[in-house]
Amino acid sequence: MRRLLVIVVFLGAWEATRRFDLVGPLLVASPGEIVGALVKSWPDYLGALRFTVTEIAIALAAAWTVGIATGAIAGTIPFLGATSGPLLSSLFAVPLITWYPLFMVWFGIGMTSKIIYAAVSGFFPIAINTMNGIRGTDPRYVTFGRAIGCSHRQVVFRILLPMAMPSIMSGLRIGTALIVIGVIVAEMLASLGGIGYLISYYRSIYATGHVYLGILFALACALAANWGLTLLERRYTRWRELQIAER
Amino acid sequence: MTPARPIVIETRRLGKVFSVDRAPIVALEDISFSVPEGSFVSLVGPSGCGKSTLLQILAGLVSSSSGEVLVDGVAVRHPVPDKISVMFQDATLLPWKRITENIEFPLEIAGMTAAERHKRAAEMLALVALAEFGERYPHELSGGMRQRIAIARALAPNPRILLMDEPFGALDEQTRIKMGHELLRIWAKTKKTIFFITHSLTEALFLSDTVLVMSHRPGRIVGVIEDTLPRPRTYDIIGSAEFGAARNRIWKLISQDDDEAAEGGMASL
Repeated sequence: MRRLLVIVVFLGAWEATRRFDLVGPLLVASPGEIVGALVKSWPDYLGALRFTVTEIAIALAAAWTVGIATGAIAGTIPFLGATSGPLLSSLFAVPLITWYPLFMVWFGIGMTSKIIYAAVSGFFPIAINTMNGIRGTDPRYVTFGRAIGCSHRQVVFRILLPMAMPSIMSGLRIGTALIVIGVIVAEMLASLGGIGYLISYYRSIYATGHVYLGILFALACALAANWGLTLLERRYTRWRELQIAER
Repeated sequence: MTPARPIVIETRRLGKVFSVDRAPIVALEDISFSVPEGSFVSLVGPSGCGKSTLLQILAGLVSSSSGEVLVDGVAVRHPVPDKISVMFQDATLLPWKRITENIEFPLEIAGMTAAERHKRAAEMLALVALAEFGERYPHELSGGMRQRIAIARALAPNPRILLMDEPFGALDEQTRIKMGHELLRIWAKTKKTIFFITHSLTEALFLSDTVLVMSHRPGRIVGVIEDTLPRPRTYDIIGSAEFGAARNRIWKLISQDDDEAAEGGMASL
């Protein structure tokens, strides 16, 4: 109840700043203007949302599978880990956005360049965390696995990956956030559609209400991704939380 | 001990050489012994003498540099989980699995059906007297209980041999003594062949039929003590004169070896 009151007061104050013209229409859009933008052009936003969500979904699928697989390989083979570990970390440190113009030349300004750009930026933290999680696993568990007759495959899938799950999850969190950001930023730079494209377009014609609406949609994408991750976390790393709580 | 009991583990002139920075280090040399079926054999020796390496060779986890290990007359070259189970100082229970699932895990890897696995896990939980903890997670149990679960998990595939690498080494003394009793009870009930590594002379004598004494660098068997203390054994036995005498014999073997090593060191100077 109190929370609702806070929201109402906040929205009221926000609306007032515009009604009494305390700030200019280019700087801030009022809640009313945002709702107006939604009512007027919701089909555009829906189409853009579908475009952006498709890009995010494909980039996520690619980055998660390739990232976890790369991390698992680098983590289980000592030689590869020793060489690729520092390589992955230093590549992760490179601001990937500087490569985006090249990605556009290589893959065009359609969906492909966004997907690849976002997937690559999400790949690094996932691969690095998976690798570190596996390398941090007590080697006695591997010995145990071999003693009970596990194949290499079973050691990786039944012992090492579940064991590294808390670390992998934090990699997925960072990677997923980077992918949502990556897709929208790339759309803002140059594209044919999507939420980022709408934000950038409406900004260029000074339609601030529409820009705010676009930002809200982008926020919704990030929140949805985060919510999905929380569900996954509950499923796979609850044991770790219980373990920590016990101490 | 009746001589009629068949031999289940036999090592023939086992040797292991590690190379550290290209310099060979002899970890084990000329290890030959045999373990009769159903017996409890302990191996004592100073830390770093190669006890764990020997156990890993017996388990087929590490290869020997020379000689061979025979289990039921067949050379061991890789793990044989249906015949040999291994237990470590750390329980190595999988933290995301419930206790029952942990006990079932080796059975699942062995390809047993779910129904059989459940039945077997329940039996094993009853054997270690922790039936009411099946739905708990490992972190909810004490160190001693976790080791009992590790015993249950090791025995679940019904192996003939249980290899134990200082299984109670990380426990406090009271828990350790209780675990010793518990292990003897389980051993009497299941009639498994147990090969037990420890650095505690008391623990070795209290538990075993035979105590193998190992020296270090290179690890060799320097003596075999046939432990004739009466069974069933209770804690009082540790205070008896017989126990003390046997303990002294083991200690002599170990310290004698140290003296020789010291003299050898002096001579080479």
